[in-house]
Amino acid sequence: MVVIIGCGNLLRRDDGVGPLLIRRLWELGPPPGVRLADGGTAGMDVAFQIDGAAELIIVDACRTGAAPGTIFEVPGEELETPPLQAMNLHDFRWQHALAFDRWLLKDRFPKKVTVFLIEAETLEPGIGLSPAVEKAMERLARELLRRVGADAHARGDHA
Amino acid sequence: MDAWTQATMFRGFEIILKGKDPQAGLIVTPRICGICGGSHLYKSVYALDTAWRTEVPPNATLIRNIAQACESLQSIPRWFYALFAIGLTHKKYRHSHLYEEVCRRWAPFTGTSYEVGVVTSSKPVEIYAIFGGQWPHSSFMVPGGVMCGPTLSDITRSISILEYYRTTWLEPVWLGCSVDRWLENKSWSDVLKWLDEKPEHFNSDLGLFIRYCMDIGLDKMGAGPGKYLAMGTYFHPEKYRFPTIEGRNGALISRAGVYDGQEFHDFDQARVREDITHSYFRGESFLHPFEGVTEPLDPAEAEKQGKYTWAKAPRYDLPGIGPTPLEAGPLARQVVAGRPGAEPWQDYDPLFLNIVKEIGPSVMVRVLARMHEAPKYYKRVMEWLKQVDLDEKFYIKPRELPEGRGFGATEAARGALADWIVLKDGKIENYQVITPTAWNIGPRDRFGQRGPIETAMIGTEIENPEDPVELAHIAQSYDSCLVCTVHAYDAKTHKELARFTFGPGGTL
Repeated sequence: MVVIIGCGNLLRRDDGVGPLLIRRLWELGPPPGVRLADGGTAGMDVAFQIDGAAELIIVDACRTGAAPGTIFEVPGEELETPPLQAMNLHDFRWQHALAFDRWLLKDRFPKKVTVFLIEAETLEPGIGLSPAVEKAMERLARELLRRVGADAHARGDHA
Repeated sequence: MDAWTQATMFRGFEIILKGKDPQAGLIVTPRICGICGGSHLYKSVYALDTAWRTEVPPNATLIRNIAQACESLQSIPRWFYALFAIGLTHKKYRHSHLYEEVCRRWAPFTGTSYEVGVVTSSKPVEIYAIFGGQWPHSSFMVPGGVMCGPTLSDITRSISILEYYRTTWLEPVWLGCSVDRWLENKSWSDVLKWLDEKPEHFNSDLGLFIRYCMDIGLDKMGAGPGKYLAMGTYFHPEKYRFPTIEGRNGALISRAGVYDGQEFHDFDQARVREDITHSYFRGESFLHPFEGVTEPLDPAEAEKQGKYTWAKAPRYDLPGIGPTPLEAGPLARQVVAGRPGAEPWQDYDPLFLNIVKEIGPSVMVRVLARMHEAPKYYKRVMEWLKQVDLDEKFYIKPRELPEGRGFGATEAARGALADWIVLKDGKIENYQVITPTAWNIGPRDRFGQRGPIETAMIGTEIENPEDPVELAHIAQSYDSCLVCTVHAYDAKTHKELARFTFGPGGTL
């Protein structure tokens, strides 16, 4: 099973791109063998969504200084961060969830983890994506469906 | 010595909601938080139920109760093991004779109780998802009921998940006894007797926690104001069929109330005010939330006017005393649960009123109050699941009134949480949320009265000012909620990530 989790806060403009992408994938119709999850701003619950996934895809907004709408495709290992300090649960994010899951799930940890980050233009309080991020979301949604659809086909899930 | 608390983040959801569809709060407020989104949904739906004068069928009230309680059941072990107990393994306490045992059990990742506690915490919200479709951030509660049509297998699955929670963690690991045996304790002396009654009690995580706190002094630290507010939660399914602001107190199962250190008072939402004298908002108003305004200032400018935080300072106008800072949270709830005169359907539980009178409030007592709710809510959810009548309605379509005022409140795991909504011309005219964190972490008010956590920190002896673990214990015992409003990944720069740019050109 492929699990796709969109993370971020719908109330902070482009920060909501992850959950909105999940909604978009739902509208477009995910292929069999793909589970969609709206991770929102929960951290540890992202960790619990991962159990049972052979492949995991995480989508979040980022601010790295690149042009708004830039999409990064980063291997999970690059971003994984162990939550070893005494940590407020509100600070626990997917990058901690990945390390947490590697410990928790051991050999059930997904074989492949990919993180897609979309550069945000604005994180001001408000609802709705800026145009560049909206376009990037649409592009990524279609690309993800193409990839997981092709994978599902290869696995024979359409049978 | 003095203390100031500062909330460093502005949260503009009240501004977002102005002028929107009345039901926008059901979508927006559960997104305020990644930890207690279900609680946000619960109170925002009651704000609309009261404004629209809906009829809520008993099944819907039961499902709402179950969902709210499951979120708290999740939060209890998760907060204890993944947040609070990690601080107990701090090297400052290495001289305690229990330190080695505490580290063996509660060290992050390697502790023997850490894994079972944290993993079991994910179970109760599976029940939430059975009814609510997803957790976090569900919007399945709507005015007039809930959007679900559960089957018998949903109920039996929920019961088995709840039993798993009890038999995997709650009884064997945490209590060391049955839920019913623990709930027989009605006083601090009962608790001490319980502790010595059996090795299983003494050596349970709860037994160890009590002994360790008394050894390292957490039973003497972080008393707080000693004045408490509970807005109450969970409704009797028949008594709140027609939700109104006036009828709310009498229909509650977990009661609302204020304890001023001497006496109890009925809770009345009309007595709530928010002071912004020291908050980064325009002016110095002291308004009821129906009249509340949210006009943010640039913090740098605001600081010139003696303002120091994004939190407002909620105050409760106590009859005969005036505006008073009050502590919200599990300790407040459990103290209010000790008020005599409960109706037969309401929770009466004298344990924490007795503990506060016998040994005073502290970090230890605040944590115990939160953990005490796990067995209580376990029993409640079990009852409610059995009361759901699968042949009856879960939703009654309401009339969408264009004008009105509503108030909805609940008890999130960390305390009283409420919405006030004003509708005009079929749109939201005003929306104000007061969170438990605002009650607890809010700043001084116009009278110079400190907020509860500010008070709790005064007089604390700090061994190492570079690493004030004592203050962390106090703040964490209130489980303040501050930082989950922005989520975007920002740990690596474009330079570091550029090699992972996706597709030709990267940007569109």
